[in-house]
Amino acid sequence: MPMGHTATAEAGSGGLTATEHRLSNGLRVVLSEDHLTPVAAVCLWYDVGSRHEVKGRTGLAHLFEHLMFQGSAQVQGNGHFELVQGAGGSLNGTTSFERTNYFETMPAHQLELALWLEADRMGSLLAALDDESMENQRDVVKNERRQRYDNVPYGTAFERLTALAYPEGHPYHHTPIGSMADLDAATLEDARAFFRTYYAPNNAVLSVVGDIDPVQTLAWIEKYFGSIASHDGKPAPRDGALPDVIGGQLREVVEEEVPARALMAAYRLPQDGTCACDAADLALTVLGGGESSRLYNRLVRRDRTAVAAGFGLLRLAGAPSLGWLDVKTSGDVEVPVVEAAIDEELARFAEEGPTAEEMERAQAQLEREWLDRLGTVAGRADELCRYAVLFGDPQLALTAVQRVLEVTPEEVRAIAEARLRPDNRAVLVYEPVAGGAQDADAQDADAAATDDTEEAAK
Amino acid sequence: MTELATMEFHPRPQAGEARPWAFPAPERGTLDNGLTVLRCHRPGQQVVAVEVLLDAPLDAEPAGLDGVATIMARAFSEGTDQHSAEDFAAELERAGATLDAHADHPGVRLSLEVPASRLAKGLGLLADALRAPAFAESEVERLVRNRLDEIPHEMANPSRRAAKELSRQLFPASSRMSRPRQGTEETVEGIDAGAVRAFYDRHVRPATSTAVVVGDLTGIDLDALLGETLGAWKGSPAEPHAVPPVTADDTGRVVIVDRPGAVQTQLLIGRIGPDRHDRVWAAQVLGTYCLGGTLTSRLDRVLREEKGYTYGVRSFGQVLRSAPDGSGAAMLAISGSVDTPNTGPALEDLFTVLRTLAGGGLTDAERDVAVQNLVGVAPLKYETAAAVAGTLADQVEQHLPDDYQAGLYRQLAGTGTVEATAAVVNAFPVDRLVTVLVGDAAQIKAPVEALGIGQVTVVTAE
Repeated sequence: MPMGHTATAEAGSGGLTATEHRLSNGLRVVLSEDHLTPVAAVCLWYDVGSRHEVKGRTGLAHLFEHLMFQGSAQVQGNGHFELVQGAGGSLNGTTSFERTNYFETMPAHQLELALWLEADRMGSLLAALDDESMENQRDVVKNERRQRYDNVPYGTAFERLTALAYPEGHPYHHTPIGSMADLDAATLEDARAFFRTYYAPNNAVLSVVGDIDPVQTLAWIEKYFGSIASHDGKPAPRDGALPDVIGGQLREVVEEEVPARALMAAYRLPQDGTCACDAADLALTVLGGGESSRLYNRLVRRDRTAVAAGFGLLRLAGAPSLGWLDVKTSGDVEVPVVEAAIDEELARFAEEGPTAEEMERAQAQLEREWLDRLGTVAGRADELCRYAVLFGDPQLALTAVQRVLEVTPEEVRAIAEARLRPDNRAVLVYEPVAGGAQDADAQDADAAATDDTEEAAK
Repeated sequence: MTELATMEFHPRPQAGEARPWAFPAPERGTLDNGLTVLRCHRPGQQVVAVEVLLDAPLDAEPAGLDGVATIMARAFSEGTDQHSAEDFAAELERAGATLDAHADHPGVRLSLEVPASRLAKGLGLLADALRAPAFAESEVERLVRNRLDEIPHEMANPSRRAAKELSRQLFPASSRMSRPRQGTEETVEGIDAGAVRAFYDRHVRPATSTAVVVGDLTGIDLDALLGETLGAWKGSPAEPHAVPPVTADDTGRVVIVDRPGAVQTQLLIGRIGPDRHDRVWAAQVLGTYCLGGTLTSRLDRVLREEKGYTYGVRSFGQVLRSAPDGSGAAMLAISGSVDTPNTGPALEDLFTVLRTLAGGGLTDAERDVAVQNLVGVAPLKYETAAAVAGTLADQVEQHLPDDYQAGLYRQLAGTGTVEATAAVVNAFPVDRLVTVLVGDAAQIKAPVEALGIGQVTVVTAE
């Protein structure tokens, strides 16, 4: 029987609330009402990602995600796409290290269809999965890999840096897209086994957000998902724990036909869900977020040694997070010049910490990013699932911004001192090889903008 | 577990009763300084979007200074009479705001996004940028160098390289549209603070500009706020720029931009056609969606879901520039990337899809699904303030009435299969398409020549 409780609205959540429920088969459900626009978002997170993949089968979780759009017992071929789009909805799925998500945003009166479709594939995918879809989607995914990684300059940087930052054998050593060889090696039986192992109601969280009637919505969820059997055969993912710091600088130099020298680095940072991770987020924002950050001011504005310089944070719950540095050098500037300036800025920051103004700016930026994410029903549904799957409590999504605003300058300084140091990073340096000087014009009409309706590997 | 599911199946549910939704109608007004203002209250949208359109089109750039509009747009956020460049960036971020600006054929656009609670601060900074930009020599020099550094990155990107080549092929050399929007190395090198200031003085003034403000405006006295901020911007009156006619050579042909060793071929196949002023636009949108709007459209049904040649191929229409008299044009194109060995077969299939469509037309079922999608997604698509503001600004920029988008949805719903077929077949005639391929010429030239889709020339990426 469904049961639930309601949390009260917290500051920073914009008055949003969410209720939690659990079906007898273990499916966790999160509902959140918002009647401002007649739309409803359905989001389903399965607790499986590339970290669950085994040696020789990298890319399987993402390839499998594509197969989830190839039909199930009551849905023919591409019916999932056709029915949702034909109902005026939009949809997609993505795969990351830690989870696979599927989502539909529907006009509110078409909500029941999305629930029916998600339930059909959760319960009966194998009735439709065949060699033809497997072979076709294998080719599609290989072309996805070529388009997004292999055929663009610096395209494999993420993969290379991840492989450096997490040691051989670590569950996060490889990225969700996988290798061509492993994509070729995956069999239909692998896909079937993957579904049987990980696609179960008790390994998923379903959120529905928007212009909904919670009682009716819950009744539909019970009707469509309630009879899907749970099972407990899921092996625990390999342990992602690592020491707090790498303990030495790892380095790889890539000589490729790229347009400019680049310095990229990944710093090992605290896991998501901790105050230290929020502090690291603020540190990276002060140092390398936006155009008033320390690195931007130093490298792009003052030294003029870089075209672009910034830090990003890859938040991870099952392994250390990564602080992501990306600098493309200007003109003939050599990498050591840029690197020395960065080390100087990081060392200075570790010593003095952020100014009051820098804290205010960084917190204002992160707050706006949260408002953006929670400003759409789909964004809200995704965040509720994220906190439910990774941290066991969807309510944490509604208070996340508050936690960022409570971090103190000293906490930010301390995390920078402890983690943003040369002996805690993996460095990737790009040195261009002579491929001939290139013609000097360009076009910004991104006529080839990619569409948002394809399955994506995050 | 068995292969066959043990779950209890239910018939596919029917839709409930649709709840009404309409594209928001803005309120239009003019400030004392001549600035046109469109405003739209969107409850719940805590991040307010402000778009400002300046009548500073690319064809107003002086000869030999392509890119000056872009440098000016970027320089707006590099300091004012109140703040240095670094301080300005810091103040924006302190307000939790972002400010983007870019120059395109119709004019320059500035986009501010800021939490409603800090709208006053954000609008103040935006107004300062427009009213009293510093255009300091050293900052402009830095922006120029930065722009020069970006060019090789864009040239190395297959999709951008393809777009650049298509423009060069389609438009006459005398047309600004034939040349890169943000300038070339030669033209950008010649830009300095004086050139930026001159362009600003000549083309930027409130009387020919429009601001669009969208978001949750509860408790905000927008009139007072606008009066203190954008209202303080002064300038002389002026007539809007005349829009030159757009012409293009769409003689069917193939241009390969050689990229030795490329594992995929980027394809961009296009020509120009009617813009939103033309009665055919709704039918063209509908037909273009059926051709290549999504992965269940005709192109991907074959190229992706049957053959696996690609991650996705799309067809689209994108307005280049519109004129009040309807003489503007849109780029109509098909784009995507396919693996190198299958480039010939993929192009053959693509042209077969076009020929089959011209021969047999669309089905009623295809038309129905497309209408349901295009009309049905509207409330989703316009959930955020930024999306609404963007479309309202596009309408102004394209000389369309403020209720254009609302009317378009009614037109789409009333467009039949025959009209949609005619529109898409006219939009993509197989013998009037310029095909640009960015890929490994040594591997793809012969198979492409064998297709007979036009003369094939190879351009080397010097």
